[in-house]
Amino acid sequence: MSESMPQGPIQPAPISAAPAVSRTGAPDAVKKSGSLPPGFTLRDVRPDGSHEYFLNMGPQHPSTHGVLKLVVRLDGETVLETVPHLGFIHRAIEKMGENETFIQYMHLTDRMDYLSSHINNLCVCLAIEKAMNIGVPERGEYIRVIVCELQRIQSHLLWWGAFGMDMGAVSAFLYGFIEREKITQLFEELCGARLTMNYFRPGGSNADLPEGFIGKVKTLCEEMKFSLDEFDVLVSQNPIIRERTVGVGLLSKERAISNGCTGPVARASGVNYDVRRNDGYSIYDRFQFDVPLGANGDSFDRYRVRMDEMRQSVRILEQAAAGIPEGQYRSKEKPNYKVPAGSYFAAVETARGLYGTYLVSDNSFKPYRVKSRSPGFSNLSAIDEITRGGKIADLVTVLSTLDLIIPDIDR
Amino acid sequence: MGLTQDNSLPIPPAGSLNPAGSLNAVDWVVGWARANSLWPLVFGTSCCAIEMMATGASHHDWARFGLEVARASPRQADLIILAGTIVEKMGSRLVTLYEQMPGPKYVIAMGACTISGGPFYYDSYSVIKGADRIVPIDVYIPGCPPRPEALLYGIMQLQALIRKGAWRKSLTHQPLNTSPIRDVYSDCSKAWEIKEKAKQESMKEAQERFKAENPDFKGVVIKRVAAPKFDEVARVPKPARGMPPAEIFSALQARFPAVAVHGNADVTQEKWAALGPEYVLDLAVSREDYHGVVEFLRNEPALKLDFLIEITAVDWKDHFDVIVHLQSLDHGHKVFLRCNLPHETHPEIPTLMDLFASANWHERETYDFFGIIFVGHPDLRRLFLDDDFPGHPLRKDFEDPTRVVKRPY
Repeated sequence: MSESMPQGPIQPAPISAAPAVSRTGAPDAVKKSGSLPPGFTLRDVRPDGSHEYFLNMGPQHPSTHGVLKLVVRLDGETVLETVPHLGFIHRAIEKMGENETFIQYMHLTDRMDYLSSHINNLCVCLAIEKAMNIGVPERGEYIRVIVCELQRIQSHLLWWGAFGMDMGAVSAFLYGFIEREKITQLFEELCGARLTMNYFRPGGSNADLPEGFIGKVKTLCEEMKFSLDEFDVLVSQNPIIRERTVGVGLLSKERAISNGCTGPVARASGVNYDVRRNDGYSIYDRFQFDVPLGANGDSFDRYRVRMDEMRQSVRILEQAAAGIPEGQYRSKEKPNYKVPAGSYFAAVETARGLYGTYLVSDNSFKPYRVKSRSPGFSNLSAIDEITRGGKIADLVTVLSTLDLIIPDIDR
Repeated sequence: MGLTQDNSLPIPPAGSLNPAGSLNAVDWVVGWARANSLWPLVFGTSCCAIEMMATGASHHDWARFGLEVARASPRQADLIILAGTIVEKMGSRLVTLYEQMPGPKYVIAMGACTISGGPFYYDSYSVIKGADRIVPIDVYIPGCPPRPEALLYGIMQLQALIRKGAWRKSLTHQPLNTSPIRDVYSDCSKAWEIKEKAKQESMKEAQERFKAENPDFKGVVIKRVAAPKFDEVARVPKPARGMPPAEIFSALQARFPAVAVHGNADVTQEKWAALGPEYVLDLAVSREDYHGVVEFLRNEPALKLDFLIEITAVDWKDHFDVIVHLQSLDHGHKVFLRCNLPHETHPEIPTLMDLFASANWHERETYDFFGIIFVGHPDLRRLFLDDDFPGHPLRKDFEDPTRVVKRPY
């Protein structure tokens, strides 16, 4: 390791403006051989004799949570630059959407961010409702809130388990899945699917809640409160976990905004923004809940914000389960959805952040162009700034706390 | 039930213990051992991976079948469960992984995508229509995604195969097929029509006899379950937050007189009201004003549109629209911009990377999909597709019969 690099405990990543533009700073050896991997700008060139090398991580790597490829420029153990490569699960969903009707397109959004599939469906529904002026009955709105919050808890539970696995704690994975399976079974009762739901429709949902569902949700809320306390004892207060996350992977508020980060990643950096509260879509403006914020923007804050979010989701669930009215669960069905010409945008808060659907219609049954703004896409783009100056082992921690779903990023 | 049947494979009879017979007994033991100690590779590309994780976790627990040693390295594994779609870019990596595994090795195709492309069969330019085009597959598990129980059943099927001594040469795989893709759906429906026709022919006589014997028969009356009826519900619009669009527009027009509201050339006071409470300002800007307008919107303290939601484009066949969505995190208002570009191979527009760090990937994506050049972008490479991918797929004139199967309906 070179003398100029900081030794000992992890230093906060230096925060600078947008990366340098020119490649003129490349060392002579690299210039001559022309072997610079694509994407590298070679900031802060090290003195001659430093042990610098490039390392490929992925697309087959257990901690990249799917098929993400990272090329890391290392000096010994220290990360100098990280360049992500995408597209290993790019399935052309936006192109396919142009040849499917608006309702058919919905099942593709399930497969983007499959841990927030209900919430993705909701976003498409909101855009169509805005375009065609479709109202949602009271019970339908409550169903949406209940199901979306269950989905958020389910997603965070899986993240929590996978986070434990990345840290080397297999027990977290097993405990997380016990609770997750309960919610999965509720969803199965609801719509027959465990993962790819396709449950919401413009104007409500495609079925009413099954019998006894609300009672089960109430029971689940009680159980979740107990389990979340248990999880805190198991992982949050674990000295090894704290050692590996506190002060690691810092992201400042300004850089989080500039990088387009949303969701728990941005909130851990102190960005007080939650689409549920700031836009109040569906009926979220009727419920009491807090938006947990972090102070430092490190990995532990990102962890803690998600744990607190699960508690807030339980809080919303309790209010919604207590207040759900009887009545029709959807408005009048239309034989087909012919969206008037124009462009429509709707945004929701998934478990990862701001998910947006941009529909362009030319007054037909199929979208002319459809674009999804996925939260992970922008959250991942900050990884270079977060990991710069840290150790390679912390790269795994950071990847895990960003909570990436690669098909959501690649679409 | 199935498990006990599989376990009771016949042991070679003791009377036939010649050299070959004794080898058979050894094979039986080896097969039994192999089947019950499969080491799967940790390989998951998309949705099915979550169900695979659920199978491995506490509720379903695949350790019961001798599978708990999931390895991250192909060198230590002998089974790949293809959990999720395989796209072209991943295909070559999958072949490498398969080649790296020591034999005997097995592949399970989990889910519709790996069997045939599944939901991504039609219109997708990147998905490989079935993983068996590139690696040999032993067990197929249908579903989207298959339930954990289905995966466990598939694993048991594979174990039964292994116990029977099924194996393949360790280095067999096919190169990626680049010929135009056959439309299986149309082929099947044609074959189905022929079969139906033959069936009708063969039953013609019986039908006529039935008609002659029962002249009063009017056909079977099918009783349907009545679909529930729902009333129309009036929509309650959520008013857009933050500054009203009229104020944003007048603040902007003082600096940039050429900027117009998209679809409403000259907006009056009444027209603003007619646009409704949900209306988000949709501006049409020229290429010259584009960068200046975004810079003004971002830096003006009263507007403070400091958050870039997305940059994208729409191909209108005669021109492109580059779309920019901005939002103010503090005030809550949004502004959408569109900039008209000529329909050329590579139209040019200034980059926004000096204003928003997130513009980097959004612009690379737009370049990848539409071929729009963002002048001043330091690293304008393709984001999702391979460098040698022909053309820009989200253009309306994109066609590639070697990759895309068009929907026959």
